[in-house]
Amino acid sequence: MIALGCIALGAVLLMLLSAMPKVRMEHCSLFAFVTLLIGLILTLTSFGELFTFFPLPKFFHKMLIVDSYSVYFDAIILSGALVTSLIGTHYFQTKRHFKKEFFSLFLFSVFGMMLLVHASELLSAFIALEIASLSLYVMIGFQKVHDKRVEASFQYLVLGSLAGIFFLLGSAFVYAGLGTTILGEMGNRLDTLMGKDVSLVIIGATLILVTFLFKISAFPFQNWTIDVYDGSSLPVSAFMAATFKVAIFGFILRLMLVDFDPIRDTWDTLFIVVIIATLLYGSFLAIIQKSLKRMLAASSIVHTGYLLIAFVSIGYAGESAASSIIYYLVAYFLSAMGAFGLISYIAADEHVRVTYEDFRGFAHVHPYMAAMLSVFMLSLAGIPSTIGFVGKFYIFTGAIEAGYTFLAVCGVVATFVSVYYYFKLIALMYFYPACDSDWKDVPSLKGITPLTIGLIALAIIWGGIGNTFIAYFPGVDFLIDTARLSYMSLFIK
Amino acid sequence: MGILSWIIFLPMAVACVLLVLPVGAKATRNGAFGVSLVIFALAFYVHEHFVPSAQMQFYEQYDWIKSYGITYRVGVDGFSLIVLMLIATLLPSAYLLLWHNERSKSYWISMLFIQSGISGTLFSLDLFLFYFFWEAMLLPVFMIIGLFGSGNRVFSTLKITVYTIMGSLFMFVSILYLGVSHYYEFGIWSFALSDLVRISSLTQVQEMFLFAGFMIAFAIKIPLFPFHSWLLETYSTSPTGGVFLLSSIMAKLGVYALVRFTMPLFPDLFVAYARFFIGLGIFGLIYFGIAAIVQDNIKKMLAYSSASHLGLITAGVFSLNMQGLTGSAFLIVAHAIATGGLFLLVGVMQRHLGIRPLSALGGIAKRAPWFSVYFAIMLFCTVGIPGTNGFVAELLIVLGIFHYNPYLGVLAALTVLVAASYMFWVFQKAILVQSGNDVSHMRDLSLHEIVGLFPLAFLIVAMGVYPDFFLAKITPTLHYYLDTILHVGANA
Repeated sequence: MIALGCIALGAVLLMLLSAMPKVRMEHCSLFAFVTLLIGLILTLTSFGELFTFFPLPKFFHKMLIVDSYSVYFDAIILSGALVTSLIGTHYFQTKRHFKKEFFSLFLFSVFGMMLLVHASELLSAFIALEIASLSLYVMIGFQKVHDKRVEASFQYLVLGSLAGIFFLLGSAFVYAGLGTTILGEMGNRLDTLMGKDVSLVIIGATLILVTFLFKISAFPFQNWTIDVYDGSSLPVSAFMAATFKVAIFGFILRLMLVDFDPIRDTWDTLFIVVIIATLLYGSFLAIIQKSLKRMLAASSIVHTGYLLIAFVSIGYAGESAASSIIYYLVAYFLSAMGAFGLISYIAADEHVRVTYEDFRGFAHVHPYMAAMLSVFMLSLAGIPSTIGFVGKFYIFTGAIEAGYTFLAVCGVVATFVSVYYYFKLIALMYFYPACDSDWKDVPSLKGITPLTIGLIALAIIWGGIGNTFIAYFPGVDFLIDTARLSYMSLFIK
Repeated sequence: MGILSWIIFLPMAVACVLLVLPVGAKATRNGAFGVSLVIFALAFYVHEHFVPSAQMQFYEQYDWIKSYGITYRVGVDGFSLIVLMLIATLLPSAYLLLWHNERSKSYWISMLFIQSGISGTLFSLDLFLFYFFWEAMLLPVFMIIGLFGSGNRVFSTLKITVYTIMGSLFMFVSILYLGVSHYYEFGIWSFALSDLVRISSLTQVQEMFLFAGFMIAFAIKIPLFPFHSWLLETYSTSPTGGVFLLSSIMAKLGVYALVRFTMPLFPDLFVAYARFFIGLGIFGLIYFGIAAIVQDNIKKMLAYSSASHLGLITAGVFSLNMQGLTGSAFLIVAHAIATGGLFLLVGVMQRHLGIRPLSALGGIAKRAPWFSVYFAIMLFCTVGIPGTNGFVAELLIVLGIFHYNPYLGVLAALTVLVAASYMFWVFQKAILVQSGNDVSHMRDLSLHEIVGLFPLAFLIVAMGVYPDFFLAKITPTLHYYLDTILHVGANA
């Protein structure tokens, strides 16, 4: 909770500071970084404990909640933001068009995301969602190179607002059906209504789910994804793909697990169709892309599909499916962050689009970067010895445990297709002779950005191999245990 | 850490160190060779201290992912022991033959990683661990073919990768399904083979699907008949080392995994579908044999002849009796040595003469006598001339199949002869007969190549003349498979 306040305070302060002419962009960047770091440290103090309470009940009236679950997500969001700012350091410095306000907006969006996972009431969740989204709309437009940026920003703004309206309408329906919008109480009232007509609630919840599906770019609301990711600067794409998705899942999981548990079966068939379509269409989109950034954007749709598999499994394999989502979010976050970050680092000085072909023979010129990029691709493809593999293992196990073997097979088929578009990059980097002058502009491996990316690559391998040989060091088990713990905290009465 | 872990992780550790150190290709190669000798010594130690019984020995177990009961557990029984000895002997020899072939550091680093991968696959007794190594092994192979192959190598690398990963992913789902079934039946998570075999809650249909999941993965790796379309391209574009690994080690691991995992997990289906797989094996034997005859490139021809023998090995495994199973184990070794040796020799020839069709060869015997002698020994073993281990193995398998079903036995006996006889024709045409073709660039084997191939040639003859010595440690294990796992009786 203090962490939340710290980020909010930091955001406001930074906004005021950025108005002063003496303050330079580097200062703002540093300020944002320090704020995030303090927030993360504050969060980690209560990480791994089992608790739940409503902060300042007289003041907030159960609109916000603090429990192990929200703290876990806070930690992911804050580390995501930290990593974004670390990875972006180089990018922000070389592309001079980032203004000082950018970092204030950045902190505001982090604040919105954290608020979202703390939200214990539909309207405060909506406000949180809009804080995060509005900041992102502007952040997307914050670049001058790409002529698509205005289009991207507007497309996301218009469609995102439309999706937001569904959320409001859904909340109204839920309120009409249950007489409350407070999480927890909605669930209790729904329990008492069982056996009666709850169609109002179902309609309302479905509308809320539409917003959710839009924000995580599931089929049939995926069309904006590629254009928006492509149009925004790389650190922002990474931030959206990895961190924002975490926050959205954080809220919707809470809503589904705690409140709409009794009626969740209603959407089973719908979800199965959505999952299959998401996997199929996402894979198709990813295969046909020539630009790496667009491929990563398209493949993020496929990863949404995997997450939804776990999401629908929650009904029958609650604990393991829920913790598998949380784990997979971490796995995807690391891999996507690394991939986006490294590509943004490589392409920071150039004005070209980064296509597959640009990477021909890259490994012979920059072996370390190529190795790191390969690690990220392998992890995204879910090859053993990376964290992506363990994440997929949890998701598919959860699906089979819940009786959705068919969905697990669909996921496996999508994985198998994904091997093609991820390995294509590795093959291009390694198996062709280097072109002479193409990669002279690439910055050398110095400074904070490559160090962060390298650490991410190590973390990916570490998460995949686990802590068999070195005890007392957090590894796979630690992550999954804390994920379980945070799941349990949802059900403390 | 026990001795098996050393065998698994030593090459990987050395590879990591060499990767970081600023050493050249030569030093890396020497390091890799040194490691392979150490591994041989360790394997020999394991062999000497292995008590001939059906028990898993040198057993090690550590927790890995506790929340899902996933463990790191490794061990050897008679069957894995024989494959271990095979790999430990083959690799130093192969390194000596590849000595001058590859002048790149990453080649030898990949070889070391592969060595770790295959040992890990061989010893794993936890299905999750097995899958881990099984997939991870693919990456260095991907690198070797892609980096050092010839022709349209990028395409064929992607093809073999996508193909094999497809197979493994189906196996992956099967493994997960078994794990979940175990959880539902016993209330705890486990992926250990010894736990999963106790599952009894599966219906016939479920078992069928799971069995199919495993079989597809192994059939692609071996390759069995309808899953072989990656074979030709991959073998013809791979560098010598890559082909050697694929044909004499990876393919054998496919058969090994078939026995190690599918047999105990699905004993009933294994028995019920034995006839089908024998038929498939014999069909592969004929089909790939005919395909081999029409090739005009030695490498492609060997690729098909190798697939043809793997069909026979598979048929032997499914013949469900002592002769067939022993024969298969024996042929795994014999064929790995012979085919591996042949591919390495062809690699030497290609280094001197370039890639040529068969019709542009001839008269090599005169220029390179040592080469020709070794070539002949390997070839005799492949064909199954009495006095070589190939003969013993093929005889046992044919007997085993005959035991299972006389008609199939007769078919197998006839085709073994027909399918292998073309090898003589190749030998005569490429090596013996003087033709007008210019082979003046061909030079004889150098000293370390002669030394490197000697153990292989020696084993071929020794195992052919005195097979009992080599069977002593494996027999109890095979008895155990037949009596206790399949319930068909070792002497049936």
